[in-house]
Amino acid sequence: MQRARDAALVLPNKCRDAYSFEDVLGHQNSLYGNEVSVVDLSRIDFIEPYSMIGLLLLGRTYLRNTGQKLTLAGMQQPIHQYLSRMDFFKWGCFAEAVELDKSKQLKRSSFSNRVVEITEIPNRERESIAAITGIIAVFRKRAEHILKYWMADSTVDYFVTVISEVCQNIFEHSMDSGYCAVQTYSLAGEHVLRLVIADSGIGIPRSFSAKPEIVAESNARLVEMALTTPISSKRKAGYGLCQVNAIVEKLRGSIFLRSADSSVAVLYNRKRVGPGQVFLKNGLTGFPGTQISISLFG
Amino acid sequence: MRVEIKKIAKDLKIALPDLITRPVGRKMYERVKKQLSVIHEDEVVLLDFEGIKVVDSSFIDEFLLRLIMDSRSSNPAFFIKLQSISDAIEINCESVFSSFRRLSEDRVAVITDRIIGNNSVYLGSLSKPERDIIDYLRVNKTVRVPEIAHYIGKSEPESEELAEVLLALRLIRRQKDGGNFCYASL
Repeated sequence: MQRARDAALVLPNKCRDAYSFEDVLGHQNSLYGNEVSVVDLSRIDFIEPYSMIGLLLLGRTYLRNTGQKLTLAGMQQPIHQYLSRMDFFKWGCFAEAVELDKSKQLKRSSFSNRVVEITEIPNRERESIAAITGIIAVFRKRAEHILKYWMADSTVDYFVTVISEVCQNIFEHSMDSGYCAVQTYSLAGEHVLRLVIADSGIGIPRSFSAKPEIVAESNARLVEMALTTPISSKRKAGYGLCQVNAIVEKLRGSIFLRSADSSVAVLYNRKRVGPGQVFLKNGLTGFPGTQISISLFG
Repeated sequence: MRVEIKKIAKDLKIALPDLITRPVGRKMYERVKKQLSVIHEDEVVLLDFEGIKVVDSSFIDEFLLRLIMDSRSSNPAFFIKLQSISDAIEINCESVFSSFRRLSEDRVAVITDRIIGNNSVYLGSLSKPERDIIDYLRVNKTVRVPEIAHYIGKSEPESEELAEVLLALRLIRRQKDGGNFCYASL
């Protein structure tokens, strides 16, 4: 028991958004080579969808690399309840040090309206399309609640477009499966809608490596180009991410797009009109695949 | 010819109200192409999107863009007009058409059955005089080159050239008017 405790990685309380989750990713290398098999979440008192799916991918990558599941320990009850409710454990990437008592599990009926649970997007076309269609069906059914603070018929349709475009990128480009989740929550008096779609595939820089005509001065610039220019690693043109960017601009939300060791954040929510504020980052901790978090604030 | 998109999607057992992904676009394209095998030269094909809420860029690329290209080059050539498009379809088409233009020498545009967000009856990017001609035709239905020239404030040869560009984009029709030609809306 003591040994297991010694071999635990204690994660910092940095699961509030994509930016703070970088600190968690910064710890991932200590999982390898130190016989760490337990991840201690005792310090975490809040976890939002991007961090949750990031953690899921971290566990899946570890499982693939070592053949071992990481055990999650020390979870505060609300965190454990939330992860369980969002189907975090359904995908078999983590073990639970202590299982959540059935009587403590959140009732699906009382909490269902503002979320779309973590759903896998397979990397095979047919299965992937079925999964995307399923996510959109659930989203449409719950949209009235998910988009309560941003409600308009067109907003629902815009989000359907966004889900469709980003999820398709997984089976079209990543060469791996991924996950999607949606949630509306309130934090510090602000309503936040977060749509997260993420994979641990080859990532944007590698997917463009076979296209020498597409040149960018850095990976972050390439990731930004993928978001703002109709380039494609497979076709003459790629419209999907540009479309997503245009819609998020219209809704005055924000986008965080991370791939490999770089990211771009575009914040349209800071200004009522005009172009968004763009922040590029290179030299982040290497994390396989592409992860996107789209947020609306109200 | 009127093509009911919703009916075709139902026949193909595609879940509605959204038409998304490339495979769905390809399936729909193949089915509509079959229907178009009986149209005659310069026929207007009304694509009716009643009951469809969202089409994504993959679908637009595989379905609408291909049909637009066919309308220009196929034998027979035809015209396309979109009917009952939602706001989401409108913005998604605009975005794809605009991206298409950024990456190629070519451009695409298509006529709609009603005035849309750009305050006109087309999707795509047109120049100011081109747009003026579309708007003029929307009101007057059939016009001759001198009338266009007078309306847009250009010479007759320039006006005719602009009208011919719109014809090549399959946004207006040209028809015989005595010994001359006139242009007509779809």
